[in-house]
Amino acid sequence: MISSLLQVLEFVAFLAAAVAILELYLHVHFSYFDHPWFVSATVAVAPVLAAVSGHSLSVGHLPSLVLAAAGIQLVSALVFRYVVRGKHSLPIMLLAPGFIGLGMLIAYPLAFEVYLALHDLKLTTIMAWSRTGHIPFVGFKHFTNVFTSSPLSSVTFGWLFGRTIWWTFINVFFHVTGGFILALLLNNCHRFRGLYRTFLVIPWAMPQVVAILALRGEFQSQYGFINIMLGRLGVAPVQWLTQHSLLTCTIINVWLGIPFMMVIILGGLQSISKHYYDAAAIDGASAWQQLRHITLPLLRPVLGPAVTLGAVWTFNNINVIYLVTGQAGGTEDADILVSALYKAAFTFYRYSYSAALAIVIFLILFIFSILWLKFSKGSESVYG
Amino acid sequence: MVETPQEVAAVLAAHHRRQAVQAVLIHAALIGACLICLYPLLRMISVSLRPGDRLISTDLALIPAGASASSYLRVFKETEFLLWLWNSLVITCVTSFIGVSLAATGGYAFSRFKFPGNKLGLTLLLGTQMIPAGMLLLPLFLMIMRLGLINTYLGMIVAYSVTSLPFSIWILKGYYDTIPRSLEEAALVDGTSRFGAFYRIVLPLSTPALSIAFLFNFTQAWNEYLVARVVLCDAQRYTWTLGLFELQGQYLTQWGMFAAGSFMVTVPVLLIFLYSSKWLISGLTLGGVKG
Amino acid sequence: MASVTLRRISKRYQEATVLREVSLDIADREFMILVGPSGCGKSTLLRMIAGLEEVTEGDILIDGKVVNHLAPRDREIAMVFQDYALYPHMTVEENMSFGLRLRGLAKAEIDRRVDEAAAVLQIKDLLKRTPRQLSGGQRQRVAIGRAIVRKPKAFLFDEPLSNLDAKLREEMRIEIAKLHQRLGATIIYVTHDQVEAMTLGSRMAVMNGGIIQQVGTPAEAFFRPANHFVAGFIGSPTMNFIDGAVAGGMFKSPDMGFKLPGGTRASGPVILGIRPEGVCVNKTDGSSLSEPVPAAIEVVELLGYKRNLYLKAGEKRLLATVDASFDGKPGDTVSMSLQLAGIHLFDQETKGRIG
Repeated sequence: MISSLLQVLEFVAFLAAAVAILELYLHVHFSYFDHPWFVSATVAVAPVLAAVSGHSLSVGHLPSLVLAAAGIQLVSALVFRYVVRGKHSLPIMLLAPGFIGLGMLIAYPLAFEVYLALHDLKLTTIMAWSRTGHIPFVGFKHFTNVFTSSPLSSVTFGWLFGRTIWWTFINVFFHVTGGFILALLLNNCHRFRGLYRTFLVIPWAMPQVVAILALRGEFQSQYGFINIMLGRLGVAPVQWLTQHSLLTCTIINVWLGIPFMMVIILGGLQSISKHYYDAAAIDGASAWQQLRHITLPLLRPVLGPAVTLGAVWTFNNINVIYLVTGQAGGTEDADILVSALYKAAFTFYRYSYSAALAIVIFLILFIFSILWLKFSKGSESVYG
Repeated sequence: MVETPQEVAAVLAAHHRRQAVQAVLIHAALIGACLICLYPLLRMISVSLRPGDRLISTDLALIPAGASASSYLRVFKETEFLLWLWNSLVITCVTSFIGVSLAATGGYAFSRFKFPGNKLGLTLLLGTQMIPAGMLLLPLFLMIMRLGLINTYLGMIVAYSVTSLPFSIWILKGYYDTIPRSLEEAALVDGTSRFGAFYRIVLPLSTPALSIAFLFNFTQAWNEYLVARVVLCDAQRYTWTLGLFELQGQYLTQWGMFAAGSFMVTVPVLLIFLYSSKWLISGLTLGGVKG
Repeated sequence: MASVTLRRISKRYQEATVLREVSLDIADREFMILVGPSGCGKSTLLRMIAGLEEVTEGDILIDGKVVNHLAPRDREIAMVFQDYALYPHMTVEENMSFGLRLRGLAKAEIDRRVDEAAAVLQIKDLLKRTPRQLSGGQRQRVAIGRAIVRKPKAFLFDEPLSNLDAKLREEMRIEIAKLHQRLGATIIYVTHDQVEAMTLGSRMAVMNGGIIQQVGTPAEAFFRPANHFVAGFIGSPTMNFIDGAVAGGMFKSPDMGFKLPGGTRASGPVILGIRPEGVCVNKTDGSSLSEPVPAAIEVVELLGYKRNLYLKAGEKRLLATVDASFDGKPGDTVSMSLQLAGIHLFDQETKGRIG
């Protein structure tokens, strides 16, 4: 425990040092770009530093490392001298550490994923890869596999895709309807509103893992709350987890997702001026007409982004499905694209296959968001 | 038409009655919804208090007959619950610290400076929220494996460190935007450098937003399961989410301990969330509204 | 204390030109007012002197030294902001001493300076409070105090009184005037309020459209406005303008015509300006007044010690300010004449002053 803690502290110190070096590098390049010795001096220093650090870290291929350092530094020095010219130094220095982090942990993995998808990494080749870093190139084989063979044991890509759409639609639908009803109730309730609101956000506030596991327990066939109640009504026990797993997951996810929508919609409702309702009431609008012609249109600017966000979250939701069905012997009747992806990679160890699947899913999401943006831009301009 | 005072009174009385009925219905519906929301928490309490010999039962009472705290004691004695919490705490604190420091400076750059790529950068940050977590996990896992960081705190810290960064940058940028620029200008004239004005004036004034960003980072990492499942394999390194999952796993006999552990983890998280929810929500919607 | 010199300063944002070749000499210990309507570039100019905005072209000199590329902190100036810009997380004392602490002054010296400034501004009992706990006027004093303790080469004020209510503004105006006498400091003061401009400054620069229209004492700007804009901007109520032409020493417009005082160099199309105090009603004094014309009273306003008459002579509407004792109702016809000494003539083409 102590040693691992030391390792963590060491890592933090290492990070701090890396950031300091990065900032020093930028500082030099922003401040001295105009000095006559700038290019020659930095290009001379870079390979020396590379050689020293390469030697002390005992990295192989020292000559090529030195050469690469000199080349990269030459390009960088010229860019700083003739393009950047000391402009925007502070914002770039402030952003550099964060964006390098994002680059290494988001952009690089994405690129790596493409590499993986075009090569063949699986349980039989992974040992060789971790030793030599070499995996055989297979081209687009895995992309065709995505559509021809099942990511899991039997369910096909087409089924998963359809189920994902259905899952996203049905969940968002119930999130919005449920959230809307609760928000309306809260908005029309004057006593204890704060108290109700506090209790109603609990599903969102609870740690998801705890909430999902606890609810899964309630769907257990013998000792879960649902079947106990059904049993008291004289209904035979239902095998929720094995035979109706998609329904179970949907119920759990609806329960989890309503509070977010409720809070957003309640905020929207409270920002609508009472004067509109007074005016409409004087004009003789019924409660339903007020809802239809005032509340809904005025909620749109709030609802639009919330639905977008909710749809993306639901589309990408692995937690519920994996935690309910992910254990050994779990069913794959509830799986959607992303949970199948997770299982393909980490239950079935089909790395390159799931990399290809991931890219396909990403493209689907990308196309959806472009379409959605186009669609919503056209209708939003009315309210702009 | 209503004409006489008696008729007017009757209409008013009917109106009041209708309102009263409506109020009762609203409260009834809300109480019902609250119960549904509270239900798992209540069941958790109930199951955790069950005496050892009656763990498996179809009893639905909130406080079971013969309630005992034995599950709470057993979770500490028979499992590594404390160790799991400690593991989670170390990983979570370090990642939150890294995330907030990067977001504090990054958000400031986006809030105060015009530079090429300002708008694009903010949009890209929002764009990263669209990437399925499961998609990044595989390459990240392989990278961590090649670095030899499987089953270490470091592997977890590396995997978590930037996940909340985009959102944190948005929160902090939004907060910085509300601080008048004249304060920094006054500091510049008073004798600070450009960075000094940020460090001495803006940063101290942003403590509320910084703590919210910290809490957001903290809860995200604290509640995470899927990455931990992949990176950690030794029970000695488990975070509490993995630990509780194991407990809830196959053996029904461990339900009591699962419930007790869950309850103890949930309460502080709930309190933190309720404290910070107002801010989180405004930050969450900000991204959507402005993007 | 020091002089400040601006040499052909220009400021451009992409396409928009905010300031055009502005030159100005501000002597040591001078109280210079930059005044003009909003958007005229006066605040930008002040911020450039402070170093908060970059200079596109030209030089700024403080004490004879070019400071264009110095950071604000190296210019040894102090600034009072429109919204005061007090640091909310520091007490009044910390606010005032912030600049001194940054410069590493000895604790005793800092305390002495803060005490001294607090005494001058009568804020000694506020030193331990935070800005949140202060009223608008008190915040203003603290902001000035923060500038004073620095003993800068020049003080810059950016519309410091515009957030105060009318009564406080008057009080603070007098306070600032006293302060200038006591400190003998170089002050550059931006305002859009011409009362502040007239009462405070030893000199003022009237600005419009990114150009300095006139530099001079308040009296010069009031009595000898350099052009049509300054004439219309300075003075309240606003000067009356009559479009017309001069030929052979006679002013002629569609609604009136009279002989100008001897020796006028004007001829051709002109704009004639006359302040409301120079418009006389029912007065006859042959030599100093123009020939009377009949005018109808449209509206009468009582200001207390004066009365504003809105007159209509022919098709031309004019404002006359007369004694409160004047007795007339809307609808009455009076005879209106102009004080010849109060007449200003401007070229219709160049808008510049003639004579």
